Amino acid sequence: MGQIVLTNVSKEYAVGSESLAAVRGASADIAKGEFVSIVGHSGSGKTTLLSLIGGMVNPTQGNILFNGENIYTWTSDQLSEYRCEKIGFMFQSASLLPILTAKENLLLPVAFRSVQPSNGMDARAEELLRAVGLGDKINAYPAQLSGGQQRRVAIARAFMNGPELILADEPTGDLDEETEAEMMDFFLRMNEQQGTTFMMVTHNTDLAARAKTRLRMHQGVLAKA
Amino acid sequence: MTRLLSFSVKNIKRKPTRTAILVFAIGLLVSALVFSLSFVQRVNGSIRKASERLGADLIVVPTGARGATEEILLENKTKSFYMDRSIMDRVAAINGVAAVTEQVYLVTLATLCCSVPEAMVVAYNQDTDFIVGPWLIEKLKRKLKKGEAVAGSESSFNIRLGLVDVDSKLFGSMFKIVGTMDKTGTGLDNAVFITTDNLNDIIKSGKVTVKPGQISLVFVKVNPGVNPATVAAEVENTIIDADAMARKDIGKNIIATLKDMSRIFTMTIILAAIMSFFLVWAIFTAIANERAKEVGIMRSIGAKESHIMNLYLAEVVVIGVLGSVLGILFGSFLSVVLAKGFTIVKQLSTDLSMTERSLIALASFVGGMLICVLGALGPIQRLKKLEPLTVIKAE
Ligand SMILES: Nc1ncnc2c1ncn2[C@@H]1O[C@H](COP(=O)(O)OP(=O)(O)OP(=O)(O)O)[C@@H](O)[C@H]1O
Ligand SMILES: [Mg+2]
Repeated sequence: MGQIVLTNVSKEYAVGSESLAAVRGASADIAKGEFVSIVGHSGSGKTTLLSLIGGMVNPTQGNILFNGENIYTWTSDQLSEYRCEKIGFMFQSASLLPILTAKENLLLPVAFRSVQPSNGMDARAEELLRAVGLGDKINAYPAQLSGGQQRRVAIARAFMNGPELILADEPTGDLDEETEAEMMDFFLRMNEQQGTTFMMVTHNTDLAARAKTRLRMHQGVLAKA
Repeated sequence: MTRLLSFSVKNIKRKPTRTAILVFAIGLLVSALVFSLSFVQRVNGSIRKASERLGADLIVVPTGARGATEEILLENKTKSFYMDRSIMDRVAAINGVAAVTEQVYLVTLATLCCSVPEAMVVAYNQDTDFIVGPWLIEKLKRKLKKGEAVAGSESSFNIRLGLVDVDSKLFGSMFKIVGTMDKTGTGLDNAVFITTDNLNDIIKSGKVTVKPGQISLVFVKVNPGVNPATVAAEVENTIIDADAMARKDIGKNIIATLKDMSRIFTMTIILAAIMSFFLVWAIFTAIANERAKEVGIMRSIGAKESHIMNLYLAEVVVIGVLGSVLGILFGSFLSVVLAKGFTIVKQLSTDLSMTERSLIALASFVGGMLICVLGALGPIQRLKKLEPLTVIKAE
């Protein structure tokens, strides 16, 4: 059995008196260390799917297992620990805290860990920032960074706690082609060297093609691409 | 945790003006607390100490002179009133009375008679005295002679001259000031003491209103086991010309007035507390709205509800500590400086001890912190319950 197992997962949003099915009966079995790309039209339910796997939205129906455990039977604190230590989330929109520097933004998820690592976290933060090409922006505030640079800080942050699974929602959305390719190389490297599982939503078909497993969302339905 | 704390500090610095307003409001509340607690405590304490130092179980005064007596004993006002000496003998004859001694109060008037500004002169009977003697023991170690006087520890004789063994003119007679009194904590600290032997000469001078055979009041000691209140009632029933008050009743009038003042203070403080509470609440509601997205981000990357709670509580606590400390400093300053504007406080003879001041500061600190934390609790509770997803959708 895989690291992530979705069985017939559905999510309906209540919109006024109607209900809108953002995800319909999604099933998937994703093994540890897999690199999965997800493509699909705007509004097809990609973000909703990642949020479900990230323990941020309750499914209307179905089960989501992480390493064999049904994550929606967990307490709020257990879900927080899961988000903190097991997964790294790259959001579709800007998600840095404006009053923290790039490095402090990276250190924030460390502060939420239940057991504080003894030391070396500062060095790790700097190393990750260098890895995404921001070695000279370590102490810059988000407002002092370009949109693409902010995006890369958020990418680096997702790796801070050494997650088993990266949930990336259009992580390279506002990057130029060259930087985008660099980020993709970085992801593949982490995937190979650390065995980190990736689920990456992208509109870039070239990037999607580089993933071993390719999925497509269409009107809430998840299928092989 | 230290990381989160430094994050709180950064949050506090985000809007310095708003933080300053909050700190200021809490500061005002706490200083009002410090001021009124100091005031009430000081007046209460002075009255208690004064009556403890008095050494008599009962005081018998002319009918209607209770208030004036309290003003002399507690507020060091200058007053005089007289009754016939025979009243003392009648008091002494009452069942349960162990000892009596009289005092005669004279008021000096600067221009008319004496070489000092307006002051109380207390003539006491050295043969029967049990009030003044104990205050003198340390200083003089002998009885006063005719023509000698002792200055109260705060009296203008003492303050003006700064030394003893100086001749002063009182009601036409020369007196040698041979010593100063221990501090008693009563209004009599401002008086000058002479013995009743001098009264005949003073009355002859015609510069006082007291007539021969008159006294101001009688101090009474009762036998062990006798209730002073019973004796007081007996005095009032049998002697129409006299009022009696038990020691524990001394200051009743002032305490009653004080109770009204305390009530006003209490109401002011409650109003200030309610206003501060709502200010904290309103500001933290605004903060909660502004930072909803940030909280969503933090929850999404793994913050527990308790992390959010601690993060914002730390912010409140820092603001509360700043405000309370400022308030304590300002309130203590007020209670020293502003209190001088209150006649009742100006005339009290005892000040607050260091322990009392510390306790008042501590109580006020706790009060300030409580308002801060309670006011912010609602908004913070709402903040920590935010769904992590909110952020992902908010563009
Ligand atoms: N909180 C919500 N309440 C109601 N409807 C929602 C909510 N979130 C998403 N939806 C709806 O669910 C559907 C899927 O949304 P989702 O954000 O998952 O799409 P997406 O595939 O990520 O789109 P995009 O590529 O534009 O990011 C959309 O029709 C959207 O309107
Ligand atoms: Mg999306």
